[in-house]
Amino acid sequence: MKKKKFYSGIATALLASSVLAGCSFGSGEESSGGDSNGGDEGSGDAVTVDVFQFKVEFKDQFEELVTMYEDENPDVNINVKTVGGGNDYGASLKTSFSSGEEPDIFNVGGPTDVDEYEQYLADVSDTDAANAALDGTLTSVSRDDKVLGLPFNQEGYGLLYNKKIFEEAGIDASSIETMEDLKAAVEKLDSQKGELGIEAPFAFPAKEKWVMGNHLANAYLADEFNHDVMEAYQADTVEFAMGDQMKEFTDLQSEYSVQPVLSLDYSQQVEEHFSLGNVAMIQQGNWVYNTIASMDQDFAQNNVGLLPIPVEGYEGSIPVGVPNYWVVNKESEDEVVQASKDFLDWMYTSEKGKKFVTEEFKFIPAYEGYEDQEIADPISKEIYEYANEGNTLGWVFLGAPTAWTEDALGVAMQEYLAGNITWEEVEQQATTAWEEARQ
Amino acid sequence: MKNRSLSFWLFLTPVILGLGIVVVIPFIYGFFYSFTDWNGITANNFIGFENYINLFQEDEFMNSIWFTIKFAVVTVLLLNVFGLGLALLVTRNMKTNNLMRTIFFMPNLIGGLILGFIWQFIFVSVFGDVAGITGIEGLNGWLSTTNTGFWGLVILTAWQMAGYIMIIYIAYLENVPKELIEASKIDGANAMQRFKNVIFPLVAPAFTVSMFLTLSMSFKIYDQNLSLTNGGPFNSTQMVAMEIVRTAFSDNQMAYAQSKAVIFFLIVAVIALTQVYYNKKREVDV
Repeated sequence: MKKKKFYSGIATALLASSVLAGCSFGSGEESSGGDSNGGDEGSGDAVTVDVFQFKVEFKDQFEELVTMYEDENPDVNINVKTVGGGNDYGASLKTSFSSGEEPDIFNVGGPTDVDEYEQYLADVSDTDAANAALDGTLTSVSRDDKVLGLPFNQEGYGLLYNKKIFEEAGIDASSIETMEDLKAAVEKLDSQKGELGIEAPFAFPAKEKWVMGNHLANAYLADEFNHDVMEAYQADTVEFAMGDQMKEFTDLQSEYSVQPVLSLDYSQQVEEHFSLGNVAMIQQGNWVYNTIASMDQDFAQNNVGLLPIPVEGYEGSIPVGVPNYWVVNKESEDEVVQASKDFLDWMYTSEKGKKFVTEEFKFIPAYEGYEDQEIADPISKEIYEYANEGNTLGWVFLGAPTAWTEDALGVAMQEYLAGNITWEEVEQQATTAWEEARQ
Repeated sequence: MKNRSLSFWLFLTPVILGLGIVVVIPFIYGFFYSFTDWNGITANNFIGFENYINLFQEDEFMNSIWFTIKFAVVTVLLLNVFGLGLALLVTRNMKTNNLMRTIFFMPNLIGGLILGFIWQFIFVSVFGDVAGITGIEGLNGWLSTTNTGFWGLVILTAWQMAGYIMIIYIAYLENVPKELIEASKIDGANAMQRFKNVIFPLVAPAFTVSMFLTLSMSFKIYDQNLSLTNGGPFNSTQMVAMEIVRTAFSDNQMAYAQSKAVIFFLIVAVIALTQVYYNKKREVDV
């Protein structure tokens, strides 16, 4: 009995020490992680800027850029913390605010985020970057003459097509402008499936609510809100003025897609079907470039083209918008706020920064003064050309009520594709949800 | 009771501290927040039971509860049947016993998230190919309907957890006294009678443990749900845990999600405690 007690005592002690060790290890890691991210620490640092950003894809490159900046400005120390992907970022940002560890620079998405954090956002209209920002990229972060954020980059989407398959099928992509043109092309592809070695013309990932609710719908809703995300943000209702076209386009994609669409997801769409030449077209944007390149570098570089989504009155235009903004926390000390602004300015307006933004980040710049920079990937390049020529549709979906695009519209469209409800009911459900959210 | 001396509490301190900091205090906080309009950053108003009234009128939440209950009933049954079945199989005197135990237990060592993706591949790609070769229509389009999504989740969970439940049953089966089995053999009981009248009552405590485990586990499932169906199609295979996470982090309604979590806690607590109470009573009777 005594022996037993002795052992359980040891066990308890071990457990306790492991718990304590765990704690100290955890906190130790955090601070050292911060320092190493910030590069050489330098004992004489006057200002420390904490950056909390969400874009996992460019974490390494971003930290490299930060080190470059620190070398040039030895009195500034920048700590970068990256937390991945959409939802997680929002949650951890909230956590850091409620726990008092507020970052100095962080990211916001649409106008909803801006309103939520408005009390923390510093006016950045005095920066060079804000002056250089392209027309329309600042609308969703402007509040009575104040500019509260700086755009990350631009993104755009449309129908990505496999140039080789189109060529073999004898289709001239540049001639496709209207829904009828597209339909004819799709039917032509479908009739030659065997010879072309494809499974279907499209891969339509109806499992991903964002592909339908955000992007597909946006093409047909932009006109209704005058391409202005703020107008969508303030609208009491949504009318689906182009609902018929939206239905037609949804039907076309799902009917001529690899089946069953409802369990087809993003990675299958891009990797398995498009990159491997299993389908001729997918509705996606420039963000898929790296994924395709990791599957087949040559294909990504030379064989991917971009077709606009056919929208009546906007033939030959593609939706282009700013997915995210950098914002500066005004609760920080004045010198930190200034250092934060300087850093963002340097990143987007200095020669070194510009080069890095286009070459390493592979961004489509949302700023003027990039004429002499080479945009790295062909999809982005094509989108930048559309944007320069002004052939764009707005990104209004960020102005929809929180989660509306996915949980109201996306879900309803899935039900429609499953045959449970009619298209009229999709519009009805989505409109009701919008109105309820805006009451 | 006597040995609750200073050293007793001293040894208990780390556990109590840990439990208090990561479970009890956050729980109390959460309970409090569910009565406010907390948005994750600030709580401005105390709104009483408004959140609770709203959640009972929300179809999506109710659907997810109903779906979870259906799922729990089916998986608890299947898990215990498979678990006991496998345990009986590997407690017979065979040379491959240890190997078989290892194999059956293995799926449990793979994380739920990865398992979900593996099974997604099986259901979508492998099933599709098999259907293409054999022409069995039923294997097409898995996970694209509510029904196949449901059974996909059931199969995944049963496959993953059956080995774990098996271990519990093995422990009890091996403790069944040999002389009782022998006595029943001498009395002329056949295998079926032996199982029903001797072995089964003696492993009853194992039922209490495994029922509790399987029940609470199948209610709380999240990662498998996330990676296998992600609630789709049209959020019809969304379980309560996932619904709560969505409300909190996609819809940004923190306090409302918290009130859902409180209701969820109450449901699971009531079911689990009732179940333990009845099973314990039966054990005593035996």
